[in-house]
Amino acid sequence: MQKLSTRKFLNNRVVWLYIFSGGLVLSTILLGLFYSSVTIPIPTILHIIADQTLGLGWMQEVPGNEEAIIWNIRFPRVLLAFFVGASLALAGAAFQGLLRNPLADPYTIGVSSGAALGAVFVIFFQFTIIGLGNFTLPIVSIVCGFLTLMLVFGLVRLSSRSMAIETIILAGIIIGAFLGSIISLIIALGDRDSMMQIIYWLYGSVGMRGWNYVQLIVPFMLAGSFMLIIHYRELNALALGEDAAEHIGVNVKKGKIFILVGASLLTGASVAVSGSIGFVGLVIPHLVRLVTGPNHRHVLPLSMLLGGSFLILADILARTIIAPKELPIGVITALIGAPLFAFLLIRDRVGRGKTR
Amino acid sequence: MIEVKNLSGGYSADDPIVKGLNFDIQQGEFFGLLGPNGSGKTTLFKLITGTLPLTSGEILLDNTSLFSLSKLEKARKIAVLTQESHVSFDFTVEEIVSLGRYAFQKGILKSLSKHDKNIINDVMELANVTKYRFKQFRLLSGGEKQRVLLAKALAQEPLLLLLDEPTNHLDIKHSLYMLDLLKEWQRTKQLTIFSILHDINIAALYADRIALLHEGTFLDIGEVEVLRKKDQLNKLYEVDIRTQSHPKVPKPQILMTPRNEVSVTRMELGKAYQMKQNDDFIHLEFDQPLRTISNGVIGEGIQWVKHYCNFHVDKNYDCSSPKDELEGWMRDNGIPPEQAVGMMTAVQLKYAVVRTAKIENIQFITVVTAGVGNAVDISQEGDYEREYKIGTINTMVFVDAHLTDGALVNACMSATEAKTKALSDLKVKDPFTNTIATSTSTDSLLIGVTQQGEATPYAGSGTFVGKGIGRIVYEATREAIESELKRKI
Repeated sequence: MQKLSTRKFLNNRVVWLYIFSGGLVLSTILLGLFYSSVTIPIPTILHIIADQTLGLGWMQEVPGNEEAIIWNIRFPRVLLAFFVGASLALAGAAFQGLLRNPLADPYTIGVSSGAALGAVFVIFFQFTIIGLGNFTLPIVSIVCGFLTLMLVFGLVRLSSRSMAIETIILAGIIIGAFLGSIISLIIALGDRDSMMQIIYWLYGSVGMRGWNYVQLIVPFMLAGSFMLIIHYRELNALALGEDAAEHIGVNVKKGKIFILVGASLLTGASVAVSGSIGFVGLVIPHLVRLVTGPNHRHVLPLSMLLGGSFLILADILARTIIAPKELPIGVITALIGAPLFAFLLIRDRVGRGKTR
Repeated sequence: MIEVKNLSGGYSADDPIVKGLNFDIQQGEFFGLLGPNGSGKTTLFKLITGTLPLTSGEILLDNTSLFSLSKLEKARKIAVLTQESHVSFDFTVEEIVSLGRYAFQKGILKSLSKHDKNIINDVMELANVTKYRFKQFRLLSGGEKQRVLLAKALAQEPLLLLLDEPTNHLDIKHSLYMLDLLKEWQRTKQLTIFSILHDINIAALYADRIALLHEGTFLDIGEVEVLRKKDQLNKLYEVDIRTQSHPKVPKPQILMTPRNEVSVTRMELGKAYQMKQNDDFIHLEFDQPLRTISNGVIGEGIQWVKHYCNFHVDKNYDCSSPKDELEGWMRDNGIPPEQAVGMMTAVQLKYAVVRTAKIENIQFITVVTAGVGNAVDISQEGDYEREYKIGTINTMVFVDAHLTDGALVNACMSATEAKTKALSDLKVKDPFTNTIATSTSTDSLLIGVTQQGEATPYAGSGTFVGKGIGRIVYEATREAIESELKRKI
């Protein structure tokens, strides 16, 4: 009897978590649309969104500038923040699951640095690959991110037979630092204008991007999320270790490639549209795991929802703290994320000490 | 079931660790792999699980090559349990066990079906981990973890289970629990088990067939009797190993001898003991334990013992639980029953005969108490209903010699023959049949030897030891009986 009720409670809890996260997403989106220097009433906002997306507006007249502010400036910004946050959190959760290490995230293992280098290249030299057009930026970014990942793994392979977690992080940091210095080199070689542009881009921002950037990230986000979410069972199995996962029937090699490619797609696309935004991929999955437990079936989707909401909130902070100027969003996420993560680490340790 | 042909492989193709192995395992068989560290056990295991690539040879499962199967097909037939029990993140026990159903999940959503859930519940029940179901795996003890991983392996409903030292970190309670569980599953579900084992005794008890791996090749394959071949085991492990039989099941068990275990100081048998004698008991305590064979109430069989005692009991002693009572008396007098042989007699202990002698440079001691009220001629038909009068011949013999187990039996024969001869020379009669008695109905005997010097396999009448025992026992027994007979007159 007791078992049944606990199980029901668990199921209920997960259902409630999804409801809560969904609600959080909607309310942060609304907050992001509402909260700004020009106040536009919420019914008007809802009308504009409904009108633009479904053609179901109910208001007779809406000032043209309000419509432009909401639809052309705020809405893409909020959506971009959501997509980037969701992508980074999902990529972080996948890397952590794959490497069996809560410290892994796109930044600690160097993927972001690689993607950033690719993006800086494209922005600095202003080139487009024929046939790709606007998608040159995200694709170069993704490919560079993936190549960096391979480079990191190659380095780990050379330095030790086992894919030890510590070695991966160490190699990621080394390669990240190396690529960072190449970016600095490019900046140093450029003129003042492009220097400012690149530096500001590197700090990370979702502002002033418009619908173009939303269009750039969406296909990669969908593809990457799909690839990762269908592999949730493999990620769970990998917690046993690669050999043991193989023994229960997981095609580890194939699964790993899918997960790495998926996570690189998400990271590369995010970095391409918004620059370097750290700590989302590290902290959000960690928090989600604390509440749901480690089952990737729930960790992956919930990380997306929470990561997206988190980044919308961070963006609101970024543009209000020193309004009318804006802070880079990467600064906000680091300022919130780093202490939070430190707290989680310590709490984890203390908690473990008690149970042992 | 599984057939391995000319299997070679290792970490590098030029220098394979296992070389040209051939063996097959029948369905429903528990196949144990034994060998010292570095003999290639784990390499062979990894070749079969597919973790390491083969250099040459093939592995057939039901006549199809193991490597033609997809990962999923393989996982539906073969489950693996290693000694590795690390799981990242805080997965619960149920989640871990559910992973065993990975290869069976169908549909786009790949969620657990009702059938999957039933199996998960069954195997958790069987492995006795249901009570930890919602507990985090990380918080379990080593034995519990291993049981959870076993449940996960069984959830795969395997035909073949591959085990790598499954009881490595477990205490004997959990080891036996786990192996009994496997044995049960083997019997009821015709599960085939291939297991690396590091404990030879465990292997002897649980494996149906055993292979001994030595430097990458098989030294021997066969039923547990391969473990009785002492020389082979000595070669394999380079340790002095002896085998003995388990007292309850017909399986060999091994005994190891540490290299530096030589006797501390040479014991002078005649001086190395204290004897205490009063109306209640006679107690001999030796400085060092002696290898002893006896049929005493306490300490029967072959043991190493330091304390020897003979307790006086009343003629009308009610012998319903002599063992417990004797233990109590020993403790009351500061004698540890675990290190003692204890006998009982109704004879007054002041009439005990103690003799020491040195015959052919061998030291002998004997202590005899004798009563012949109950003398029996063993060769005549007896009346088992007759009321026993108390009367017993208790004989202790201590010899400074090194006897094998067989020689100890020999020594018992020698002592018994001497006693019988004494009875016959004194014309002690079975009061019932009126023929010469051969013994009394409840005689006790013990032979204690120092195990110093060369080991001798014989202690019968053709040896100095046997002769010596015979002589000293005869004389002491005769004296004891004569004094008893005198008292009666």
